Amino acid sequence: MTLSNQTLVQLYRKMLLVRALEEKHGHLLAEGRIQLMAHFGTGQEAVAIGVTGPLRKEDILFGTHRGVGDYIGQGLDPRDIWMEYLGKKTGPCKGKGTLHLADRKVNIPGLVSSLGADFSIAVGTALASKLRKTNQVTLYLVGEGTCNQGDAGPSMCMAALWKVPIVFAVCTNQFCEMSYMCEHYPTDDVAPRAAGYGIPYEIADGQEVETVYAAAERAVEHARSGKGPYLVEYKTFRMALHFSGDPGGYVKPEDLEKWRKRDPIDLCQKKILDLKILTSDQDQNLRKEVQAEVDAAIAHALSALDPTREDLFEDVYAQKGVIS
Amino acid sequence: MTRTISFLQAINEAMAEEMRRDPKVIVLGEDVHLGAFGQTTGLIKEFGSDRVVNTPIAENAITGVAMGTGLNGLRPILELMFCDFALLAMDQICNHLGQWRYFTGNQYSIPITIRTTVGGGFRMAYGHSQSLESQFIQAPGLILIAPSNPYDAKGLLKSAIRSDDPVLFFEHKKLILGGVQGEVPEEEYTIPFGKAAVRVKGKDATVVATMFMVYEALAAAAELAKEGIQIEVIDPRTLVPLDKDTLFESVEKTGRLITVEEGRIRGGIGAEIAALACGDYFSLLKAPVQRVAAPMIPIPGSAVLEDLYLPNKDSIIRAVKRTL
Repeated sequence: MTLSNQTLVQLYRKMLLVRALEEKHGHLLAEGRIQLMAHFGTGQEAVAIGVTGPLRKEDILFGTHRGVGDYIGQGLDPRDIWMEYLGKKTGPCKGKGTLHLADRKVNIPGLVSSLGADFSIAVGTALASKLRKTNQVTLYLVGEGTCNQGDAGPSMCMAALWKVPIVFAVCTNQFCEMSYMCEHYPTDDVAPRAAGYGIPYEIADGQEVETVYAAAERAVEHARSGKGPYLVEYKTFRMALHFSGDPGGYVKPEDLEKWRKRDPIDLCQKKILDLKILTSDQDQNLRKEVQAEVDAAIAHALSALDPTREDLFEDVYAQKGVIS
Repeated sequence: MTRTISFLQAINEAMAEEMRRDPKVIVLGEDVHLGAFGQTTGLIKEFGSDRVVNTPIAENAITGVAMGTGLNGLRPILELMFCDFALLAMDQICNHLGQWRYFTGNQYSIPITIRTTVGGGFRMAYGHSQSLESQFIQAPGLILIAPSNPYDAKGLLKSAIRSDDPVLFFEHKKLILGGVQGEVPEEEYTIPFGKAAVRVKGKDATVVATMFMVYEALAAAAELAKEGIQIEVIDPRTLVPLDKDTLFESVEKTGRLITVEEGRIRGGIGAEIAALACGDYFSLLKAPVQRVAAPMIPIPGSAVLEDLYLPNKDSIIRAVKRTL
């Protein structure tokens, strides 16, 4: 279905917010003001924002380590992201998770460290939704690199076997950490693997946010209606390096150049201006507003309370204290 | 009123009673409809396939699935047929499960009980006979239960299922398959974690033994008594938390400590207890701590060799005499 103008502007604003948050993270690192390394998702904003777009408040998201896009998409407050990233007591995880973000307010159970471990965990939350009849969908967003983890297969197998309400969204960004995808894959696509488990799949463009959204909407509707899992593979390009300390040098300049012409934010801006949904002035104002929100969020986080020695031994078990 | 039941029946009854009590309790695992060793036999008839879920053979992934159901409102009991196979799920158990509450700042917890069998004596050689409970004592956030009789198995398993913390519940194959019988109350009961049981009183030496080794220690006690040596046999029942009070009150009386386990000696439960003794309780000791455990070799299949490998009454008697 066609997105309303209002929804398209909301998605555009979220993409701007993601880009601005990550750029600020990069600046803070470069200035030596923070230590937390980053896995930027520059260029993938349409996937993260579009795929989370059709989710309902009660739906569950397992996102990726790459960028803050899926968190913003799911409604996580930039101040919460940054209080957690800076290890503050007032972060959603009380500063104990930092990059392993979780936020119960928006049904994000947590980002695991060994990528792909949550493949099966996401099938589990979806199984619980089915058994409890909660009508929730679990969205499992994953990179193509992680799809080579051993649990990808049995997780898809169980999802299909039990027809659980889960959407597998593969963000194929052409890189598996510091290697081109073709060094890890004998095929161009990940999605056909789903067919081996009888899971319907489609491959979609990951640069136009409305295309991403439409495919996700089909997938979410399929899962919610009790038909079982659905897999969408989005084709995009990681314009950032693997992580903030990545020495680089392995990305072909012509690839970067080619994909920059299809920067998801530029594509969306063009559409919004061409269709006169926003004027150029309104667009500029929106961008200023987003930048101000990012600056305020990070200033808020920088001045938030640090945890104390007393916090160190809390939250290990249900009861207070630690079992040594 | 009491009645006599088997160890196997105790485990089956604990699960059935808790499933009746709480509709959120489900059972998952390989062949749990039939019951590979019989622990889950019959549950499918009473509770149906929504609550007794047969899984594919994929230990790490099924552990993740069970964890996911726990993150989304259920209380899963997962059966991993052999602890040797639980090592396939070490990523989920040691990297993620026990740390989920902490890294999410107490937003999420996983109320799961993972049951797995340990122990040799069935001539099944290296990969079906190990006692690997000590592999899990390094992981924070877990409860480890090691019952030796039907009363403890039932009461502790019911506590485990009700616990908001993740629990690993070890079942020794000789107790399950050997038809060990014991008395349990007719009425409902649970047993708190961290309470050791003194199986036989004595003044000359303290022997702390777990699971099937409790019976070897009791046999040693009977034989030593003929020589006028009175050992006190302590069964910790839970390894984490460990009841240090009961253990070291006994050592205060006897001045001698012998640890007994079926697992291997290096870095074992006994090593941990010996380290505690040599640190906080050194002044109580009249003799060096002795550890009885399996040697640092694979478990052989031959009956002759396996019997030489396994710790027993005689190795306990020798260790006791070294302290006198």
